[in-house]
Amino acid sequence: MEFFTVNELKKAFTNGEVKEEILKGINLSLKKGEMTALVGASGSGKSTLLTIAAGLQPASDGQILFEGKNINTMNQEQIRKIRASKFGFVFQFAHLVPFLTVEEQLMLMLDVSESRLNKHEQKSEVNRILKLVGMDHRKTAYPSSLSGGEKQRVAFARAIIHQPMVLFADEPTASLDSKRSKEIMSLIRDLTKNLNITTLMVTHDEEMLPYTDRIIKMSDGLILQNFEPQAKS
Amino acid sequence: MNLAWKEVKKNKLRFLILGSIIFLISLLTFIISGLANGLSQDNAALVKDLPDGQFYMNADADETYNLSRIDRHIQEKLLTSQKDVAALSIQMGFLNDKNDKQQSVAFVTSTESKMFENVKPGEIILDRSMEDKGIKAGDILTNNQFSGEFMVKGFVDQKKFSHAPVAFIHIENYKEMYRVGEMQLIFVPGQDKAQEADGLQSFSKKEFLDTIPSYNAEQMSLNMIVWFLVVISGMLFAIFFYMMNVQKIALYGILKAIGLKTSALFKMMWTQMLFITGIALGLSAALIQGFNMFAPEEIPFRLTIETISLLSMVFFIIGFIGATLSGVQIKKIEPLQAIQQGEV
Repeated sequence: MEFFTVNELKKAFTNGEVKEEILKGINLSLKKGEMTALVGASGSGKSTLLTIAAGLQPASDGQILFEGKNINTMNQEQIRKIRASKFGFVFQFAHLVPFLTVEEQLMLMLDVSESRLNKHEQKSEVNRILKLVGMDHRKTAYPSSLSGGEKQRVAFARAIIHQPMVLFADEPTASLDSKRSKEIMSLIRDLTKNLNITTLMVTHDEEMLPYTDRIIKMSDGLILQNFEPQAKS
Repeated sequence: MNLAWKEVKKNKLRFLILGSIIFLISLLTFIISGLANGLSQDNAALVKDLPDGQFYMNADADETYNLSRIDRHIQEKLLTSQKDVAALSIQMGFLNDKNDKQQSVAFVTSTESKMFENVKPGEIILDRSMEDKGIKAGDILTNNQFSGEFMVKGFVDQKKFSHAPVAFIHIENYKEMYRVGEMQLIFVPGQDKAQEADGLQSFSKKEFLDTIPSYNAEQMSLNMIVWFLVVISGMLFAIFFYMMNVQKIALYGILKAIGLKTSALFKMMWTQMLFITGIALGLSAALIQGFNMFAPEEIPFRLTIETISLLSMVFFIIGFIGATLSGVQIKKIEPLQAIQQGEV
């Protein structure tokens, strides 16, 4: 079922007198629970596409239809509400709040998403998700005492604690070594499948592609190929 | 979730430094303000403690009270125009005690009035600070310009003029000492606006205080220091929160990206500002109250709860403005920029 559709999406920047077209009319659809990877050379427009789709920057033209509504015509507050309650984010760096413990990072996300759970239920949910990402033994730790891989696990837990419909991941393994990258990718794949979360991910790392359901190859602001990977781990 | 408190708890040293600076600046502000008030009281308690009203002096006196000589007919007219009006004269001078030691005083005499001490000829009432100089009720004091003697009838609290203790004497004794028949000033209590009087110039209480030599210069200098310190503390808040916000731009961007409202970030900053300022002001106010109670008599220090409350309010307002100004950048932060900036 397609519930997230991008139609004729364009993005142009004006640099002095030069107008630069980053996206030149992108069309794509995301299926519920599917994991899609955006790949391509630097400057192909994949990160721009991800951030526009996530409502982090506006498009110059085109539509981003989420649950039948065009995000591109919404005001800042409407977009913020969608980001808080229906989207989840994982970035290249974990970007954890330095003065919150692991448990508090997740509680904050539940607050931000205006979760209807009471405090007791919220704590139980935090414990459950931390167990799923294998971080329940570090719930009172501050980010400064965590390793890179642990931080990224917590960032992923924060991104899914409020049960978002779409997870946007911008090179989530770029700051990790090969072993840790595979662990994180495996975790993202398993949990998003179990929780039926749709994932749109940007990656440079070809080793991560077997974990995905669909690969979209971009070049010069256009989609070159849209295909399913050959092998999955 | 109380993000503000969590951050303060985790970064105790950082907030302790800001709190200490605010504490020291507010303490210094309270001290200077207390000294300004104390010196003002020391300089002109005689006038400051009078009820609101209008002073009149001779228009030719060039706004200098001891050059003023009010015509007797005009004086009589004003004295009978309203109840409680008093004519008075003030002159700086000396009294010799029983050991022939000179004591500087401000001689004050007035027509019959409840606002000033009235004595019989040969009697004198002194400001209580003269007790510290060894003078007691019943003592005999003399003056080189006075043929007779003054017998100390008693003491009154907080009656100072031009940093000297006031000495209330009878109008006849004053006339003999200073060889004048006319009074210098007329005070009409309860009058908001001056009435027209031939050859007289009117002054509100504040305007009259400004005619006292040194009073205006002294008060202006001290008040300038007080307000300068208040402005400095506002700037400190702005700079401190600006520095903190610059360090946290990436964090704020991420929090915005995941959906935290900008207003929540402002609330976090305001809560921290109120918390730090509250504790710093509470400590400095408590310390200054202690100082107020135990300060040596020689230090002209006077700080009322009203002044502390007023200055504290100003500190809160200026801290709020300083923090808010620095927070403008929070509003400008784009989540995307923050994400691209790298790890927090």
